[in-house]
Amino acid sequence: MKRVQILMAIAAAATVAGLYLAFTSPTDRLQGEFTRILNIHAPSMWVAFLAFGVTAFASIMWLIRKTSRWDRLAEASVESGVLFTATGLFTGMVWGQAVWGRAWDWADPRMASTAVMFFVYIGYLALRRATPDREMRSRRSAILGAIAVIQVPLVYFSVNLFRSLHQTQSIRPDGATMPTEMLVALMVNFVAFTLLYVALTSARVEVATAEERVASDPALAGDAVKPPRLSEVKDV
Amino acid sequence: MSDPLIVIGTFVISYAAILGYAAYLHLRRRRVKG
Repeated sequence: MKRVQILMAIAAAATVAGLYLAFTSPTDRLQGEFTRILNIHAPSMWVAFLAFGVTAFASIMWLIRKTSRWDRLAEASVESGVLFTATGLFTGMVWGQAVWGRAWDWADPRMASTAVMFFVYIGYLALRRATPDREMRSRRSAILGAIAVIQVPLVYFSVNLFRSLHQTQSIRPDGATMPTEMLVALMVNFVAFTLLYVALTSARVEVATAEERVASDPALAGDAVKPPRLSEVKDV
Repeated sequence: MSDPLIVIGTFVISYAAILGYAAYLHLRRRRVKG
């Protein structure tokens, strides 16, 4: 079994355990069944923050070392981060509609800053697609990846800095604002999502490495194929 | 729609997105590596 497959299997097992605990842990008296969404919503956003942090680190490492493995890690981590931001936004909207009576509010600093972060990282992926030259692509995305991470603390502390519909952090230095059973379920899901992130990012890095190898092999990359001489093509 | 159904639907859609991305990576890897 290869490393990525082992990581996937571990992540899948942790996800099953997380799902079991998410549906067997007690619920909040006021929010009822919707409390369970916390077990995807919070871990999704944690993993998104982690992913964008890893991207920033890899981007800075690329700017120092100029080795493509850091560029591949930065790109892979953004893809995972965008995926988990999407699930975080989606679950937050469902939860908000159920508990607050509205799925979205642009005046809310947590929602607005998360949406901006989401679109900036989609922009990062678009920037990569729009830059065909490898060196230039790596440089441009490394600069953006190193700067864009500023949004992570802004999103996280937005509920403390501004008036927000969104609640403040549930897990604080002075303790957690939930019963132990709920906290255990949430912690298991945090671990499961972190493992999912590691597995998906490793798989993405592996794909990028294989694609880069193919692209740099002249026999495979198209150097062996001559462009058609259109002047010699006869009308049919 | 009942509350448990909405919650289960939310879980299903979220995990489907994650699983879909994993499947996409698997297919892309198979195309390159054979």
